[in-house]
Amino acid sequence: MAAIIEVEKLSKSYGSKRGIIDVTFDVGEGEVFGFLGPNGAGKTTTIRILMALLRADGGTARIGGLDCWEKSVGIKKFVGYVPGEPALDNNLTGGQILEYFANLRGGVDRAYLKSLIDRFDLDTSRKFRQYSTGNKRKVVLIQAFMHRPRVLILDEPTSGLDPLNQQEFDGMVDEARQEGRTVFLSSHVLSEVEKTCTRVGIIRDGRLVRLAGVAELKDIKRYEITIHFAQPVASDAFARLDGVIKVEELDDRSVRVAIQGSADAVIKAAARYPVVSLTSYEPSLEDVFLRYYETDDQAKEAAGVA
Amino acid sequence: MLLRSIYLKTLRDYRVAIAGWGIGMGLTIVSPMASVAALIKTPEARAQLASLAQQFKWAADPVAAGTVGGYATFKIGIFIMLMAVWPLLAASRTLRGEESTGVLDILLSLPRTRLSVAVQKVAAIWTALLLMGAIVGLLAYVGGAKFKGEFGLVDGLLFGLNLALICAVFGAISLFVSQFTQERTTAAGVTGALLIVFIAIDMVHRVIPNTDWFSHLSPIYYYNLSKPLVPSFGISVGGMLLMLALTLVLTVAAIALFVRRDAGAAVRIPIASRFVPEPVASKALPERDWSLGSLYARSLATVAMPTFWWTLGIAGWGAWMVVIVKQVVSALTKLLSGSASAELRIIQNIGGGAARLDQVFLSAMFELLPILLMAFAVTQVNRWAADNDEGRLEIILTTPHPRVEVLLARFAALATATIVVGIVTLLGSAAAAAIAGVSVDEGNLAAATLGMIPLGLLMAAVGYLAAGWLRTAADTGLLSFLLAGWFFLSFIGPDLKWPDMTLRLSPFYYYGTPLLHGVDFANLVVIVVVAAVSLALASVRYARKDLTA
Repeated sequence: MAAIIEVEKLSKSYGSKRGIIDVTFDVGEGEVFGFLGPNGAGKTTTIRILMALLRADGGTARIGGLDCWEKSVGIKKFVGYVPGEPALDNNLTGGQILEYFANLRGGVDRAYLKSLIDRFDLDTSRKFRQYSTGNKRKVVLIQAFMHRPRVLILDEPTSGLDPLNQQEFDGMVDEARQEGRTVFLSSHVLSEVEKTCTRVGIIRDGRLVRLAGVAELKDIKRYEITIHFAQPVASDAFARLDGVIKVEELDDRSVRVAIQGSADAVIKAAARYPVVSLTSYEPSLEDVFLRYYETDDQAKEAAGVA
Repeated sequence: MLLRSIYLKTLRDYRVAIAGWGIGMGLTIVSPMASVAALIKTPEARAQLASLAQQFKWAADPVAAGTVGGYATFKIGIFIMLMAVWPLLAASRTLRGEESTGVLDILLSLPRTRLSVAVQKVAAIWTALLLMGAIVGLLAYVGGAKFKGEFGLVDGLLFGLNLALICAVFGAISLFVSQFTQERTTAAGVTGALLIVFIAIDMVHRVIPNTDWFSHLSPIYYYNLSKPLVPSFGISVGGMLLMLALTLVLTVAAIALFVRRDAGAAVRIPIASRFVPEPVASKALPERDWSLGSLYARSLATVAMPTFWWTLGIAGWGAWMVVIVKQVVSALTKLLSGSASAELRIIQNIGGGAARLDQVFLSAMFELLPILLMAFAVTQVNRWAADNDEGRLEIILTTPHPRVEVLLARFAALATATIVVGIVTLLGSAAAAAIAGVSVDEGNLAAATLGMIPLGLLMAAVGYLAAGWLRTAADTGLLSFLLAGWFFLSFIGPDLKWPDMTLRLSPFYYYGTPLLHGVDFANLVVIVVVAAVSLALASVRYARKDLTA
């Protein structure tokens, strides 16, 4: 899969304040890439550099082989963008805004635009200032999708959308992926990324701390398995097994084992005794994500990122 | 310290405005004191000055115009009402504006009553006005002391208090009106229009005999009842108390409405709501709307309504001056027959000096036109800076159009607007001259009206350039300061015998006196070149800067 977004050693600071530091990643064409991080981590800074709203201090950012700053106009022809905090002319109606942006893009497929309006059930007759947060988000999402861009760059796109419209959005991202278009979306809603993305980058304190497929991220997750035995079993039987981080003896017949990586050794060891029940707590991506922000060093160690 | 309460925090937000408006308006009242000192050296000159002032009583009451305090009060006249612009903007912003942006939601979530929040915020505005008034009063006193005025510190402070009271009235009107509007700009616009209407109503009794009763309807009438800088005239305690009462009544009414209505909603007027059709949900797109076709068309549509009102004001002023020139000059001619008058010098600085008084008068009045056009440009630069600061251009800048194109489209729309203002002013003045039978050189009239266009563009270009670095408030403040500075440089500077090199720093120097002497193309080129360079630099800066909302 050829890379359509290429970011290499990208850095940006705001005077003495940190922005992003040496961020490097690629996004393949047709990929749905999730960019995760807590507030202030550098997600929006990275996106604004991609959209040529900010100029990088160092490094390069390219979309479709074009430099994001030098060739920004060329890039914007095939990019759709949703900002984190949409602000538009409050005195225009939703319909006027969409018509205006359709014209600024040199015209769009009107049938498709109307289908998007129907899909989000947007009332286009109301002024932007009269819209609720969710409806404002719909207007901005429609303008990003309406010209069927090759690349979609979406900064926290579902913020403020209700579950039904989030579902609609998920469908649109899925269709974009099926059509071979690329989606780069930032989020701190992990279930959203888990549902829609194929690969994830995690940014913290301006640095990219992890870059992996969603499935790969689950490889570094921490399991907790609670095993109840029919007879007393010494917890030492599990303590030195591969992948075991911690063993907690609940009573003389029950243990809780925390595992990093494969659970194979623990399952095989447990099988030597009569097992009454075995409960595994499988962490969500959220747990994986949160671990990165617990202690930086541990996270890097686990992720294998220097 | 200043973040300990809503009142102190709001007052802290106004600290720049307090200093800026206080010092600015203070210097405005002091500046005529500087020129009048030279004009009243002899008793004859003093008498002539007082007589001339009578001819301009339509603008302000000429009370003791032969004294430093009286002349300053008269000369500034209605222009002191400029200070009312601040409270009408601040009062419309403090509740309605913060509701629109959602800031007030957070404040209202604190364990404080709505009444407490509203009272603290409004009290901060009135405190700020009192502080501005105090600064104006102190500067007036210092000016009076410097130029041998007849008034003391208490008189100066009373002048500031009187000014603060009339400004508070307009702030209270704005606060009250904003309870009925969804947008703060609507409330500010309505109050601005009322300010102009009240100024006009106050003028009526000075022009038409036996119409005092009508002028009583204007709060400005009660402001003018006090002239603290003329100790022999003194103050009207009743007038000041009436303004205070008006402020209190409107403020209490506004706060009462605010605490009862939904946050973010406007108070419904039952009769008015009958005429507003219920919006019907629609999924249609306005495909034939010309204003949505391009960046330029959208920019033009944005500037259209303000252009209409400013054109009306500027062209109306030009035409009105042409219509009244005969009557004014006839009175002046009788007064000045045979004398090498001091009065002529007053308006010669502005009018440019000429053999005929009608030409000088008309030229002087037309010199105000480019100032108004430049003020219009300042308002539009403010809008551009605000759009950038508030991120309204962000999505536009992610469409395939270079940043420079976005900036130039806005500038082109503003340029179109200034051209429209110039042409309509030319046509209006020419039509007024034909109807009133006033002889005006057509070429010079065209030079005076169309020649102001480059000045408007210069102001816009400088503003766009400054917006490359400054936030909205700072940019607008800088431009307003420049405009006021240029005005005083050109029209007060000659009286103070400032060197030619200094006077050349003002664009009005290059505009010259086109109604008398036609267009000076060399000077025009200077303005155009400076504007073009400023615009080019603004474009370069805008193309390269980080856009952080």
